[in-house]
Amino acid sequence: MIKQLIILFYFLTGVMTPSISIALVIGSDQEEIYIDANFSGEELLVFGAFYSDPSQSRDSKSDILIEVVGPPEDVALRKKDSYFGFWLNSKSVTFRDVPGFYYLSSTSELADEFLINNQIGLLEKKKSQMIDWSLLTTDWGSIINEKEKEEFYNALIRTKQNDSLYKQVSDEIEIIDGNLFRSYIDIPNTVPVGEYTVNLHLIIDNEISQEYSYNFMVTRVGIEEAIYSFSKNYPFFYGLISLIIAIIIGWSGAEIFKRFRRI
Amino acid sequence: MSIYLPIAELSVNIFLLLSLGGVVGFLSGMFGLGGGFLMTPLLIFIGIPTNVAVATSANQIVASSISGTLGHWRQGLVDFKMGGVLLIGAFFGSILGVWIFSRLVAIGQIDTVISILYFALLTGIGLSMLIESSKVIRDRIRRKNVKRKIHYHNWAHRLPFKVRFYKSKLYISVIPPIIIGFVIGILSATMGIGGAFILIPAMIYFLGMPTSKVIGTSLFQIIFITALVTILHATTTFAVDAVLAFFLILSSVIGAQVGVLAANKLRGEEIRALLAIIVLGVATKIALDLLVEPNEIFNLSVIRLVF
Repeated sequence: MIKQLIILFYFLTGVMTPSISIALVIGSDQEEIYIDANFSGEELLVFGAFYSDPSQSRDSKSDILIEVVGPPEDVALRKKDSYFGFWLNSKSVTFRDVPGFYYLSSTSELADEFLINNQIGLLEKKKSQMIDWSLLTTDWGSIINEKEKEEFYNALIRTKQNDSLYKQVSDEIEIIDGNLFRSYIDIPNTVPVGEYTVNLHLIIDNEISQEYSYNFMVTRVGIEEAIYSFSKNYPFFYGLISLIIAIIIGWSGAEIFKRFRRI
Repeated sequence: MSIYLPIAELSVNIFLLLSLGGVVGFLSGMFGLGGGFLMTPLLIFIGIPTNVAVATSANQIVASSISGTLGHWRQGLVDFKMGGVLLIGAFFGSILGVWIFSRLVAIGQIDTVISILYFALLTGIGLSMLIESSKVIRDRIRRKNVKRKIHYHNWAHRLPFKVRFYKSKLYISVIPPIIIGFVIGILSATMGIGGAFILIPAMIYFLGMPTSKVIGTSLFQIIFITALVTILHATTTFAVDAVLAFFLILSSVIGAQVGVLAANKLRGEEIRALLAIIVLGVATKIALDLLVEPNEIFNLSVIRLVF
């Protein structure tokens, strides 16, 4: 079931400054992603249109920026060290409320300054230093050194990127006819469940001219949801049922094949 | 075609799972082993989280040991009394094992500890199988018939609390079987194995049980340990993945039956030597993962509030 979500967002500043009139129209093909037995990741389609007033200067540079932020989660980041030739986990840092998924794309590469000023993006090293990490509750454990902290910040982003859960690109938005845009965002099969926020920005001359946000949910459904919640709510009976299944299959397997062998 | 595993929270190829279960089942049917010692590391290799691999493996072993026990039971080769005494130890051992396991998960050392334990176990199994099978092959070439001692008398016979085990024709203290059960319980809970590989030699050499009763009794005992471990993991670490278990059980039960048929047709020692080499290969892979500097020295895990 695909729900159409079309929101018209008019930003008419006509009264104040009659010379500028821009509209951002956003559509998304889905407000929910369902994790069922066949789930192997999905593509989220974000599309829309933007209209700029013809009277606007042709020289101004306009960009579309799409940001997808997943539900917050707590993560433990561990660093391996070599002990007598063995690579074992040693130092560990706990980050609280980091986004479980983060995606940022824009129609052209945006200046670092812009991203920093608007507190967007957390992927690259330069930017990660600028993010207000103090907002994150972090349990540093034995780590006190600033340089080491930075190493952990970068590793957090890198490991998330390696799992395809964090991504920052500038070539995934398709522009059609100069005013329509479309983007397919890869949602990998390891995404956390919960509420996701999609933020869209229309940027003109390095200034955010329009903003629009909407949410969608990633939810488990059907048997996946039933098994998951049963295992959390009734762990003993869940274990028992797993056992009974094992006993039935084990027993009947032996019986069935015994008959085969007699023939 | 892939299937989403609700507890592991990822999707895997269904044919990969079925063939993994089938191959491990085949080997276990052929050699009369539980197969947990191969199942757990192979699950980890295909990307299943360590805790889910261990807990789900225990669940799968319940099915394969039931299949195996039935045959031995019908032939009267299960010493229930001995099995029961072993279980007393195993009960406490597996509770301790699951507790150790959840502590290791909490401090983030579970992967390393599991790797080291598996490396030690697989190297031991692989080498002993290789030595044993090559000896048999050599003896066969020299047309020698080696007679083996059936009964051992050692310290286990001198301890107090002696009990008569009629079926095994033994009169020994209950302390050694309880200790053996306890150790197997710990290993079963932390590694997701039945422990037959350690249990069988321990029963023969420490307890002096007759070889004919050993396999049936150990299988019988393993059903209950792994059943207990499954319940304990389901309730404390929440890592038993019923969907993963279902596909592994289905394919391993079929694989095991095919393995039993194949065992009757093929010569044991050569295949045993081959299995030894596979086991050593898996051990080598685990060792390399520990010894070679990883590409990424950081690893991230989501903290789930389950404890």
